[in-house]
Amino acid sequence: MQPILKELAGVFRGWDAVSVPGAAAGAAALTDDAAFNDLAMRVHSAQRAAVPVLRRFWKAAPGGPPAVWHEIPPVPTAAFKDIAIVSGAPEVVFRTSGTTGGDGVRGEHHVPCLDLYRAAARANYRRHLMNGLTRLQTLSLIPGPGDVPDSSLSTMAGLIAAEPEVSDTVWAFHPVDGVNLGAVRCALATAEPVLLLTTAFALVHLLDAMGREPVRFPEGSRMMETGGFKGRAAEVDRITLYERAECILGIPRPFIVNEYGMTELLSQAYDGVAGSAPPLPARVHRFPPWVRTRALDPATLAPLPPGEPGLLAHFDLANAGSVCHILTEDLGHTTEDGGLCLMGRARGATPRGCSLAVESFLRATGSAQ
Amino acid sequence: MTPHPAPVDAWLLPPDIPRPTTFEHTAAGTVTLRYPKSDHHLAHSLITALRDSRTNLATLATADLIDLLGCVGERFSRTIDDAAIAEIAANSGLTRPMTREVVTGMAASWTSEALDRLVRAEFPDPRVLDGFVTEGDRAVRAAAPGVTLHFGAGSVPGVTVTSLLRALLVKSPVLVKPGAGDAALTTRFALELHRADPRIEAALAVLYWPGGAPAWQTWERELLTRADQVVVYGGDDTIESLRSRTPASTRLIEHPHRIGAAIVNPVAAPGAAAAAARAVSLFDQKGCVSTHLVLLLGDRSEARRWCERLAEHLRRFAATHPAAPLSPGESSALHQLRGRLAMRAAAAEDLGIWSPAETGWTVALAPADQFEPTGGRTAWVVPVSDHGACLQILAPLSPVLQTVGLAGVHDDDRESLAEALFTVGATRIVPLDEVPFPHSDWLHDGSRPLGELVRWSEVRSPGERDVGQESVGVFSTGS
Repeated sequence: MQPILKELAGVFRGWDAVSVPGAAAGAAALTDDAAFNDLAMRVHSAQRAAVPVLRRFWKAAPGGPPAVWHEIPPVPTAAFKDIAIVSGAPEVVFRTSGTTGGDGVRGEHHVPCLDLYRAAARANYRRHLMNGLTRLQTLSLIPGPGDVPDSSLSTMAGLIAAEPEVSDTVWAFHPVDGVNLGAVRCALATAEPVLLLTTAFALVHLLDAMGREPVRFPEGSRMMETGGFKGRAAEVDRITLYERAECILGIPRPFIVNEYGMTELLSQAYDGVAGSAPPLPARVHRFPPWVRTRALDPATLAPLPPGEPGLLAHFDLANAGSVCHILTEDLGHTTEDGGLCLMGRARGATPRGCSLAVESFLRATGSAQ
Repeated sequence: MTPHPAPVDAWLLPPDIPRPTTFEHTAAGTVTLRYPKSDHHLAHSLITALRDSRTNLATLATADLIDLLGCVGERFSRTIDDAAIAEIAANSGLTRPMTREVVTGMAASWTSEALDRLVRAEFPDPRVLDGFVTEGDRAVRAAAPGVTLHFGAGSVPGVTVTSLLRALLVKSPVLVKPGAGDAALTTRFALELHRADPRIEAALAVLYWPGGAPAWQTWERELLTRADQVVVYGGDDTIESLRSRTPASTRLIEHPHRIGAAIVNPVAAPGAAAAAARAVSLFDQKGCVSTHLVLLLGDRSEARRWCERLAEHLRRFAATHPAAPLSPGESSALHQLRGRLAMRAAAAEDLGIWSPAETGWTVALAPADQFEPTGGRTAWVVPVSDHGACLQILAPLSPVLQTVGLAGVHDDDRESLAEALFTVGATRIVPLDEVPFPHSDWLHDGSRPLGELVRWSEVRSPGERDVGQESVGVFSTGS
């Protein structure tokens, strides 16, 4: 398994044309369906050979051996709660926040090759967040990797902080204490552009706290906001949120981008490049070329054409060390050009009649933590 | 399901209330519900009119009231046609065959005989609902405190009708807010009641509104403040919201969401798989009585064989009573469950899943500690060695457990098992094939459904202490 993981890491690094000039061809080639399928099927074969539980899972699934990547049965995110799906020994175990499904059981993503994760994340965030800046500070309202070492998001924040262009990083959010306003104000005593990394949850807290005393982020500052679809933050009206952020923090909306990611996926999607992100209603999330997303009919899991909403399934080659094809609980639709419009989490129906919903059941029986 | 073109009126007001002239619309199932706009003057006049109707309603003797209501119930179930079923189905989201089955089953408790049984079960001398009746050295009387405000839940047709009949049986004028998915049946039934007697017409109002919506806060505050008692069916959020807004002086009667389980001895009850399939499938598993968890007395291989039989019966039942389409959230939860269990099975756990490719039904042979009421006609089957193991599994479910269906339980064991099930919270222990449709006099969520609506009063005369069984004399004993 290791050779193909290393090969993939090389391909992903190539996508970061800024740091590896002229080496983008490998990843860019994956926009071609045939090239993507070839690589995906190679990874699939390697996973079948290396991960017995996956081999048995796929063998028991209906349908014959897959001929193309999208015929490989997807693994639901809930399966990460029970089974370590991994090729070999993990270098790191990322854990979900514990809120998924409400049962208090945290999903675990066992990652055997952190370098592959690093390559996938780095190529992507450099393109979308740093975008040619040669000098910047980061201000993180995402807890640091020292505080939450099993969080993939915190790990990514740590990677960003370690970038050579980053002169300093202020960690201004603690899992228990929340936003540290003093640290935020200190971080803004600089003329360098600031990259604010935040969850929607922490951003709302920051804006509420700063509301009476607006601050101005230095020119060229930008923001990566995440967590609107998974995590503790309630769904927020992003238009209002970004308007408030622009008004209170002085970060123009084109400099605010949303990141869509989850513990079970090692790649991320962004809805724009900081500095040139389009107005919100026109935004579309895009994964790097080593990820394919489909919207599936919620009842049959049959693929839906672009524009039709369904449950999202992602095939992420960065997950080569675990499992690539993931069935999420997120709703959305794809676009003709490979983009992704997110519509939030597929929640249990209302009205449900008078039988108990899972969330209430878990709360009443004490299963939720 | 074919879209239902014309809006369905989700309101019916007593005759003296000015007709609303402005309306709102909302989608429920594949119908559009039409209801009056929020108007606190309407709320005020409605409660006042209902309160005023109480005097006339009280002139109906209970025996006559039972006949009147029961006749309407019988005629309704006898004459309901395909068009009405289609509308109710479109509103509830259930398929038409399922809707007919549900309405027919629910209507069995709306007959004169069923209502009489209900009243007599709770009031051995029903005349206490008409006036003071001698009881030993006192006279007693029971009556609802005044106007009952009823909040229905969700999409199971008939639940709200049953509840409004209970209020009328104890002569309480009632304003009913049906669940969005139960508005068509409730309004239709209420119209039949209006036509049956002017005293009922004046005492019964139906009005849907989007509960808890900001535009309806003033409306709800007005009603909650002026009603005498509130009956609420709903989930945690609904109940907590109403608790916080209902005055302490107003009685609040809560029927939270529940789940059902079954205990099956497959050897002694060879037909139990069919009964279990029906108990799981009826109401598309959205009823508080619906079975989600089956505890099967036997070993694992026996459980596997039984699960196959259950799957076959679920398939057959779905062929005659197709499941309604699930919401994306419900479908997603099922796919996640199936995939999660499939992965556990791949990891060498002894689990089993039986299901069609789509989300019509699912049988999961899986450990009890992972049980979740996923819905979508999902039967979670756990093999158990004995009744003690059943109780261990059910004990954590105590806060939410309601019905336990039994099949193949030996007569000698029934009483002790029932006693044990009572201690773990079961409020209804019935043969498995009776699970879907409770008797009219069932102890709904552990309460007497009429008893919880009335207030008792006693009268004692001076010098009458310990006088025995003679009448106190001055009080009417009713007709």
